Amino acid sequence: MSTERGTTSELGIDFFGRMTASISHEIKNTLAIVNENAGLLGDLALLMDKGRPLSSERLTTLAGNIRRQVQRADDIIRRLNRFAHSAHEPAASVDLGEVLTFTAALAERLATMKGIGLTVAAGEPVTVEVRPFVLENLLWLCLEQLFAAAGSGATVTLAAEAEGGAALVRLRCSAGTEVAAAAAGVEGAGQPLLAELQARLGVAPAGGELLLHLPVRRTG
Amino acid sequence: MSEKVLLIDDEKDFLEVMSERMQTRDIDVTTASSAREALALVEKESYDAIILDLQMPEMDGLQALERLKAINPDLQVILLTGHATVEKGVQAMKLGATDVLEKPADIQTLTEKIHKAHARKIILVEKENEEKIRAILGSKAW
Repeated sequence: MSTERGTTSELGIDFFGRMTASISHEIKNTLAIVNENAGLLGDLALLMDKGRPLSSERLTTLAGNIRRQVQRADDIIRRLNRFAHSAHEPAASVDLGEVLTFTAALAERLATMKGIGLTVAAGEPVTVEVRPFVLENLLWLCLEQLFAAAGSGATVTLAAEAEGGAALVRLRCSAGTEVAAAAAGVEGAGQPLLAELQARLGVAPAGGELLLHLPVRRTG
Repeated sequence: MSEKVLLIDDEKDFLEVMSERMQTRDIDVTTASSAREALALVEKESYDAIILDLQMPEMDGLQALERLKAINPDLQVILLTGHATVEKGVQAMKLGATDVLEKPADIQTLTEKIHKAHARKIILVEKENEEKIRAILGSKAW
């Protein structure tokens, strides 16, 4: 068990590193745009000193551009803060759909980099008792494997639903995705996470869907 | 003579503001929001320098650099990156990048690098012309 916990921690560190690296890139991009808009304001001030007129409309547009990027950076940092706190949160009752939405937001940039569209389908609320970080980590492993199997131009849709007394996450993929290969990849790399969550992986009989079965409440 | 630059980045807001700043510095800028779009432009047009974002969807900066260099090995490509790791920097230089700059970049530094890239391109073109003339002279029986 201690080995499993160690491996869960190792997977967690890897996951945390991947996500924070991606988030820091996003922040850098917004800072670069803010920096260039500030620079452009300086350029326009210099040109105005040389007699070139400057309209208030131009200044309003630039102020709007900066405000939009500050809002974008604020959203990213809020996400980072929630993610950082989830790493030390104990097991609690969480809405599965909300965890899917949050994990999709974390993975969105990495999906875009691979040319993959990532969406979350709306559904009925399903509550599960989990450590949110461990579930986010397992969902990321599923997405990572599906991204590799799907390739550029594909789409992945996440959906949560109740399954008798349990919960089910469907990861629906574009036609042609090797879902079975992705499932094998998650089984190989994510065994400690599956064990901690007492979760089970499967592939929909018709193909095209990776299924993650979760107990509503863990036993033992 | 103003430099002709191709600016490649998937952030459209960045392309817009950066190209305006370059234009105020008498740089002739063309923009591309994907590596594919840039490759099509490079097939048709000649540029003094190419500013390329390292992290882009579908085809990242290093893959794009390789493809650009395959079209024209003399292209002067300056890479812009969110996080310039030593490893990526070395990889980019090995693939033939002229320089690597970290975002947010200082426009003054970037402009200087564009001037240097332009000067390097002129030397390469002159050298190429000289070799062509030498080959013609050598092949003729005067």
